[in-house]
Amino acid sequence: MVSPTISTENLTRRFGDLVAVEDVNLRVAPGQFFGFLGPNGAGKSTTIKMLTGLLAPTAGRIQILGLDLASKMVEVKRQIGVVPEGMALFGRLTGSEYLNFVGRMYGLDRETAAKRTAELLDFMQLTDQPKALVTDYSHGMQKKLALAAAVIHGPRVLFLDEPFEGVDAIAAGTLKTMLQRMIARGATVFLTSHVLEIVERLCTHVGIIHRGRLVAQGSLEELRAGVEARSAGLPGAVTGASPGEKLTLEQIFLLIVGGSRSDGQELSWLG
Amino acid sequence: MQGNGLSLAPHARQQLAAVAELRWRIFANSLRTFRGRLELASHIFVGLAFVAGGLGGAVGLGGAAWFVVSQRNEEWLGSLLWPVFLFWQLFPLMATAFTQNVESSNLLRFPLSYRSYFLIRLAYGSLDPATAVASLWLLGIDIGIGVARPAVFPWATIVLLTFALVNLVLARMLFAWLERWLAQRRTRELMGILFFLFILSFQLIGPLIAVYEHRSIPETRILGQELSSAQRPLPPGLAAAAIAGAVQSQPGSQIVTAGLLPFLLLGCYGIVFLWLLNFRLRAEYRGENLSESVGRKALIGLPAVRPGWNLPGLPGPVVAVFEKELRYLSRSGPMLFTLIVPLFMLAVFRSSGKNEGLFAHAPQLTFPLGAAYSLLLLTNLSYNNFGADGNGTQFFFASPVRFGQIMLGKNLAHTAVFGIEVLLVWLGTCLLYRPPSIGVTLATLAGILFVLPIDLAAGNLFSIYSPSRIEAGVFGRQRASLTTVLASFAIRGALFGGSAVMLWLSRGYRKSWMELLIFLLPAAFAIVAYVFALNRVDGMALRHRENLMSSLGRRQ
Repeated sequence: MVSPTISTENLTRRFGDLVAVEDVNLRVAPGQFFGFLGPNGAGKSTTIKMLTGLLAPTAGRIQILGLDLASKMVEVKRQIGVVPEGMALFGRLTGSEYLNFVGRMYGLDRETAAKRTAELLDFMQLTDQPKALVTDYSHGMQKKLALAAAVIHGPRVLFLDEPFEGVDAIAAGTLKTMLQRMIARGATVFLTSHVLEIVERLCTHVGIIHRGRLVAQGSLEELRAGVEARSAGLPGAVTGASPGEKLTLEQIFLLIVGGSRSDGQELSWLG
Repeated sequence: MQGNGLSLAPHARQQLAAVAELRWRIFANSLRTFRGRLELASHIFVGLAFVAGGLGGAVGLGGAAWFVVSQRNEEWLGSLLWPVFLFWQLFPLMATAFTQNVESSNLLRFPLSYRSYFLIRLAYGSLDPATAVASLWLLGIDIGIGVARPAVFPWATIVLLTFALVNLVLARMLFAWLERWLAQRRTRELMGILFFLFILSFQLIGPLIAVYEHRSIPETRILGQELSSAQRPLPPGLAAAAIAGAVQSQPGSQIVTAGLLPFLLLGCYGIVFLWLLNFRLRAEYRGENLSESVGRKALIGLPAVRPGWNLPGLPGPVVAVFEKELRYLSRSGPMLFTLIVPLFMLAVFRSSGKNEGLFAHAPQLTFPLGAAYSLLLLTNLSYNNFGADGNGTQFFFASPVRFGQIMLGKNLAHTAVFGIEVLLVWLGTCLLYRPPSIGVTLATLAGILFVLPIDLAAGNLFSIYSPSRIEAGVFGRQRASLTTVLASFAIRGALFGGSAVMLWLSRGYRKSWMELLIFLLPAAFAIVAYVFALNRVDGMALRHRENLMSSLGRRQ
């Protein structure tokens, strides 16, 4: 049996009285494109922060590439790439200065860092404003730069928190191409996203977190089978699918987290 | 839309009340944390210190005003108003640690009328410590005049109130224009050239004074009279003339008419400053963008990327952080401005009197005091290491680099900046005063060897425990937390005191090896303490990572 690239045991995080993440047991195998889904405030970002060492867990264990994150933090960080929620950019550097800086922080020598910087800027189509500061980049350009920084050292595992948020179709296409290439070369990608269509198209495996608890985990087919088994006999109006039609990820997600909104709610003053 | 309860022209008063309430809520919410309560305590402490300074100054200046007016020497009133004027305008620039500016983008996203925006920007200025202290001083002068000549009191009050308004508007106007000029590289360079020309112009003071120094007393008096007439058309001179005119008028005559012309001219200054401030704020209100974006250009093939810096003997990540820090600093006009203030102060003190000005009695102190002042001005950098990094701080926690190395890179960058500053102060001392003796130079450098490592170690700790996000590119928003500022002053006080004791001890020994030992032993201890603290930074940073990232990730 292949040991998982990412595994957690009873991962828990509390903020005072609020339990943001509770007893999460994740298993992500090598080479998987893993989508981590959940409604707003479910605990996605908190989990990804704990997996990347940005936040300390209150309880539980994390292993990345077979290494214990708490005791081997630097070794783990050397082999992972991260695009966190705030993108972790330094606004008053130019794009090339930033990538150069990140490369050297990951231990690349000066020449290699410069060479990879040039290649990444070219691949991400960030070369037409070489002297612009990162703070003057558009949101999409910043996202592309953050992703370029996360991969400059050739990580074996990539953690991405909402990589497609605020990104146009062209930029999203570039990001998807890069991620698929990484997967093809054996890397593991763990991403959170609200855009379920993208997750459905890209990810081989999915985990769904709801109110801090991992409520589903597996391949898309496994999740679909599980949900269909549970909702057998229910009318199509409840599942949202026509008879004989496969459930989409969005339908699976809504059935698992039980998302509903009263149509009776009205904001009359909106006109 | 009216039917929906939305007024098409929101009332300015409502908006001002909403902004005031917002500030109050932010303040009240900040008290939920220990850091917030500590910050409040620091504000109260600093507030009390400023009130004490304000009241003390008010009593002193009030007494002086009473004496001057009752002795019928009204022409000396100008010499009381000039310090108030200079303090009001220079203190916010000199002590950026106590100055904070409003972020206009926070206000402009609301449907704010220009009038409301203007008033809010002006109101922020009236909460400045310099405004509060200088207003107390003016009140003291007013009371002093009133006690000496009760009949003049109403007129003096009107004049001094106008003078205060002129100062307030001028200070806001200078701040707004400095912010504008420092925002872009070209205007920043122009300002730099003007500043150095200004510094060089002080070179003329020495020869000028030397010419008059050996002349007979009447000629020196002529110089005094020339200076007196030169200051008369300026705001403090006009305010003084307006009051003096009323004081000198014959009893029974209209006292106001005598001082009316200078008073009107003072008002004209106010209008001009107001117009200049309005000019600047209107540009901001219209959504002026001062970013230095450059045009797009099509590129064929891979872009040419220069490898990062190389400092032999230092690990790559340390050099990378060092390079990043210096690049950041070179792009922050306000920070660069802060760093040249010591030279400015040397020039100002040089012009304050004969020979070495304020340093006439202890010329050898110029260099060590200049170096100490340079260290104080580094507070916003070295005691809030991650302030300018904002969300970038997350990267440091995600990267496989020990925090000790990150801190070392930052400390080396700040040491380099401080080294350049000390060199500039030394050159400034040589040019404006006289070259410091070798003994004083060596003692100062040895003192730095003792003070700097401990100061940097303390700065690293405060950077982790009490971080505060700053906007490096905007004037007046580079301040560390007030608690940190106060703590840094206390630490520096102890360190400077220790250095003074060392200096005193070394003077007592006649043997040079003993002097060397007295300086170098504490320096060696300080370096060991720095290394010890640096080795413990990793654990501390990890324990405080959430506070660091949340404090630096959000805008204030």
